[in-house]
This record gives sequence, C-alpha cells and structure tokens, in this order.
Amino acid sequence: MNKKHEQLIADYLQGTLDENLSKELEQLIERGEIDFIDFRAFEQLHQELELIAIPKPREEMRNRFFDMLAKEQVNQEFEEENRIIQNVRIWFRNLTASQLAYTFMLLIVGGFIGNLSSSDADQIEKLTSEMESMRQMMMVSMLEGPSATDRLRAVNISSQLEQADERAVHALLFTLNNDLSENVRIQSIEALIRWGDNPTVRKGLIRSIARQESDLVIVALADAMIELGAANAAQEFEKLKKDKVLTSSTLDKIDNTIAVLL
Amino acid sequence: MMKVKEGQIDKLGLLYERHSTSLFSFFYRKTKEQQLSEDLVQSVFERILKYRDTYSGNGTFSTWMFSIAKNAHIDYYRKKKRLREVEILDEERIPGDNPSGYVELDDRAKRKLVLEKALDSLDEDKKEVVILSRFEGLRYQEIADIQGISENAVKVRMFRALKDLKRIVTTLSEEYSNE
Repeated sequence: MNKKHEQLIADYLQGTLDENLSKELEQLIERGEIDFIDFRAFEQLHQELELIAIPKPREEMRNRFFDMLAKEQVNQEFEEENRIIQNVRIWFRNLTASQLAYTFMLLIVGGFIGNLSSSDADQIEKLTSEMESMRQMMMVSMLEGPSATDRLRAVNISSQLEQADERAVHALLFTLNNDLSENVRIQSIEALIRWGDNPTVRKGLIRSIARQESDLVIVALADAMIELGAANAAQEFEKLKKDKVLTSSTLDKIDNTIAVLL
Repeated sequence: MMKVKEGQIDKLGLLYERHSTSLFSFFYRKTKEQQLSEDLVQSVFERILKYRDTYSGNGTFSTWMFSIAKNAHIDYYRKKKRLREVEILDEERIPGDNPSGYVELDDRAKRKLVLEKALDSLDEDKKEVVILSRFEGLRYQEIADIQGISENAVKVRMFRALKDLKRIVTTLSEEYSNE
C-alpha cells in the first residue's frame, strides 16, 4: 500500500472524501490494490476507539479558572485607572506657568459661581446620594449572582462606597461566610474592614472566624482583627484552634494574633 | 477571541465554557492523570490570556489553542525533567503483564481495555493525531498546523497510527487471553 492509498483511507475515515476520490478508493479495493479485509479492519478499529471513555473535569477546575479571570479583570481595571492618572500627570507637567494660572483662575471662578447657587449644590448632593444608593443596590444584586467574576467585582464596587447601609453590610457578611470562592471571601474582608467602626460589621467579622475552613481566609481575618484591635476575637481564635485541623503556619499566625489582641 | 484580544477579557469565560472539556480530554488521553490534566488546562488559559496579543485570527481558535496545549504539555515534562523518561517509556511501552481480572471481564470491557493500552503504546505524534482527529474532531489541515507538517503527512501519520494500533491490539488480545 503506497502513501496515496494511506491518505485516501485516512480521508475516508474522517468522512472528507469527495465523490471522485470515493470512486477511486472503490476501484482500488475492487482491483485488490487495497486489501478489503484490512480496509474493513481499519474502519472497525476507528469506530471502536469511541469505547475509550474518560472522566469529566472536576468543578474545582472551573472555579480556579474563573477566580484567575476575576483577578485579571480587577488588575486590568487598576491598570486603566493608573493610565488615566498618568495621562493627567503628564498633562499637568506640560502646562506652562501662564496655562496653569489660567486653569486655577477658572477653578476659582467655577467654585465661586457654585457657592452662589446653593440650590444647585443641594441638587448635586441629592444626585450623589442617589448614585451611592444605586451603587449599593448594584453591589447587592451582583453579590447574589452565580459568577465568581461578578461577585468579585461587586466586592470591588463596595470600596467606592462612602458608607454602607445595612443591606450591603449583610450581603458582604453573607458573602464572607458562604461564597465558594476563596478570593471573593478574602476581598469581602478587605471591603468590610473599611467600616470596622460599625458594630454590625465588627460583630459579623468576629463571628465569621468560626465559620471559615480555608487557611488563607483565616489568616486574612487574623490580620483584619489586629487592624481593628478586636480583642473579643481572641476567644474565637482559641475556639477555632480546638475545633479545626489547621496547618502549622496558620496555627502560628493565630497564636501571634491572640498575643497581639490580648 | 478577537474581543479578548481587544481587551474584553471577560469574553474568555465563554471560550472556556466552550473548549475546556475538550482540552481536558486532550490532556487526559495523553497523561492519564486527572489533576495534571486540570492543571494543564489552567495553564493553557493563562497562556491564552498572557499572549492574547499574538492571536492573529488566521485559522480557527481551536488550532491556536491546541498549539498552545501541545507546548504546555512539552514544557511540563521538560520542567520536570521527565521528557526523556517518557520517551524511553514510549519505546519500551510494549504490552505489559496480563491485567488482573482480565479474564473475568465481558467482551466489550476486554476490548475497551486492550484499545486503551494500545493507544497508550503509540508514539506521541501518532497518538496526538488520533486524539485530535478521532476524539476532538479536528480536520487534518488543523492538525497539520499544530504539528508543523503537511496535511498529507498528517493523513499518512493517521493511517500508520491505526496500522500500529491494529497490530498492538491483536498482540495484546492474544497475550491476555493466553495468560
């Protein structure tokens, strides 16, 4: 059997033979240049390969990918913001003294006019408050979504909020205690620390210690407790040590945290 | 993929949903290791993200993805300094001992086992052609682009892979039945 015959059979097996080549193959078999029994054996073997089954990938593989993608998206947003800031800096640096003076003058005049119209200022304040409220709503709804990317973005949105209402705080605490993604849980701790003065947030963070399984999240919570100076958390950490199996580095971290807190 | 290249990286999620199982299957058939195959799938998508600017749009996304997959697989073994070991295994991977319990299996299970062993015994290039063509449904031209050879050479490789498979299947079936 020559290479041309081999190519014909390969094409036949993939189902890509056109009419002319099909006839050519038939003629080669008829003339005995391709052995019919061999040809059938290859065809049967090709079909039988489908008997070889493989397992399915586990859900962890998918979660890992979407965590990576979410992180990358956050990085991309930061890079974009940095680029804008950089451009503004370059623009300022290139301004001559007279241009700079003119810019400041415009700002002062703008501020003066703004002060004169206090009703406009009220409207702006109202608008800002509405936007803040919309952001909170958006964040809460994204936190409830199925995509880890969206949930991470939602936590990120919370960092833009001046203050959080009760619903937003509860949504973030729920995320911290129940989200499947480790990254989302860690990000939610960072978001909550900003409102560490709020008693609900403080209590929620301390209660959350006992509910965590991941060493990384526990370490992040330990750092948070030190930052907030939450002495009550020491008791929770002691309990955690008794109840859960932790790595030696996490145990060291907990011991150090307890020492700092007490 | 063009949208990912333009900066809409969230669109990579859609490509992942569409291709990750096929990619996992490709690696699993090559390595027979669940965890390693999952790690390699992750590695391929990280590379896709990192090198998205190099995607030209010529050819299908699958061809580009499997080219990256092939390199990720080679890099893994190179890093672990196991490439040589695997090559040696390929050469020596002649039918092994009679698998325990073979005689108790029904005909279909026996055939499945023998086919698995035979496919594993093929050299890497031939095995790759069979996996990509038979299991992942790539056209010969796409496989040619991945392997860097002509389309006709891929067809010849496919035929010869089947020829080797046929020979190994016959040998194994006889050996296992006699022992």
